[in-house]
Amino acid sequence: MLTSGPVVVMQMPEQLNSAAVRAFMQDMQPLLEIHRPRIVFDCSQVRYMDSVGVEMMLHCLEEAMKRDGDLKLAALSPESEVVLELMRVARVFEAFATADEAVRSFNAVPAEGVSQEASWYANVFGDMRAIKQAS
Amino acid sequence: MLSAIIIVGPEIREEVDSGVSAEKVASEFAREAAQLPPSTPLACVEVLGRSVVGRLIDELGRAEIGATSVFVDATVAPRQAGIDSSTNVTFSVSEDPWDMAAQKLAADVETETISVMRASAFVEFDFGDFLQSHREQGKVVTRAFDHERPLDLWVIDRAAVTDGEDLRTILQRSMPARYSVRGYVNRLEHPRDLRRLVVDSLTSRCQLRPQATEIRPGVWIDESAQVNRDARIVAPAYIGRGSRVEAQCLITRCSNVESNCQVDYGTVVEDSSILSNSYVGIGLDLSHSIVDGNNLLSLERNVTLEIADPCVIRPNRVARKEKNRHSPIIFGFGGAQFAPAEEGSR
Repeated sequence: MLTSGPVVVMQMPEQLNSAAVRAFMQDMQPLLEIHRPRIVFDCSQVRYMDSVGVEMMLHCLEEAMKRDGDLKLAALSPESEVVLELMRVARVFEAFATADEAVRSFNAVPAEGVSQEASWYANVFGDMRAIKQAS
Repeated sequence: MLSAIIIVGPEIREEVDSGVSAEKVASEFAREAAQLPPSTPLACVEVLGRSVVGRLIDELGRAEIGATSVFVDATVAPRQAGIDSSTNVTFSVSEDPWDMAAQKLAADVETETISVMRASAFVEFDFGDFLQSHREQGKVVTRAFDHERPLDLWVIDRAAVTDGEDLRTILQRSMPARYSVRGYVNRLEHPRDLRRLVVDSLTSRCQLRPQATEIRPGVWIDESAQVNRDARIVAPAYIGRGSRVEAQCLITRCSNVESNCQVDYGTVVEDSSILSNSYVGIGLDLSHSIVDGNNLLSLERNVTLEIADPCVIRPNRVARKEKNRHSPIIFGFGGAQFAPAEEGSR
């Protein structure tokens, strides 16, 4: 049975330090425990990020992927991009200019619009038979 | 007799007919664009083992200048200005170094010709040729120019100096004779210029030479530096005095690691400068940047970060012991303060 949950956009706090991360994770934890979590971290307000913040983001990504979901980043400031590149994690995340783009990238389809017999990749790759014939 | 004066401090703000100096507008725009507070002379920053000011003093010594006087703005301690003690060089610290220099000139009746330089740009020029041009043109003040603008480099006749007159006024008073500098010029107005100076030196585009041993073509490593045998240093690159590069690091693409730094395990440093007394943490990827203590300037994105996480970057423990350590350089663009150059230990 295939279900697609909504994409959740989480506004990241201004300061991604230890204290803020602890508080943020209290809100995040329930979202990571659902099936196929689809999460966007809106980083437009982030003014400071350190290794604790980066670890938290990696942890959330890992937890989301364990449940066949994903986590994407949106609206990274140049400062945040520098920190992510410095710590070699920039390539791990998909990043988008806006939260809307990140949400659209999940190709979210209402649950009632998806055939229960269709493979999970049908909406992404289209008709596999046609693709195989073309190749 | 010839003597030299070096000012380590603010520039002369020159007014033109419009009432606004073009230089002032250009330099302030550059600072604003980079989100930088009022500047500190980059000429005082240790570059490839020695600051531009230190090299200038060395050069004046080789040119057999009678005496060199260095007047330092009170916000910059001589040790931090990249200047070490030397014979024939006197240092004075003042809230107004220009004024103090004028007083010295007025008192020095034995000197006939004085070279006045503000520690700013790195300029390659023939001092003897400059002097000769001054004498031939017959004006009391001769100023050096490159193809763009005037440089803060003058030769003046002692006769032009009257008691109590401000040196800046003397230098601006009359239209100076011009001396065209044809050699390499780097104005060091922005940290990006500092990076360019490093690249130009390591690729032999200018005469500035790293103060270290060239252990193989393009790789300069100071004898006191410790480079783990599992680290990779790819030419051209420079590792300075007392620095450590740990295992699995990669230092490449004209990167320079100045004195008393540590680059920790597995970090890649590409096209970047790590200024003296800085620690760069484990497993990082530093590219197109300048690190100074816990401050990082990304040249690619033109942003400056102060990173409070000591696991990432921080002042190296040698510097942290120093009670009078000021804010670092680039970001000292923040308060006219520097990472100590440690050159006094030479």
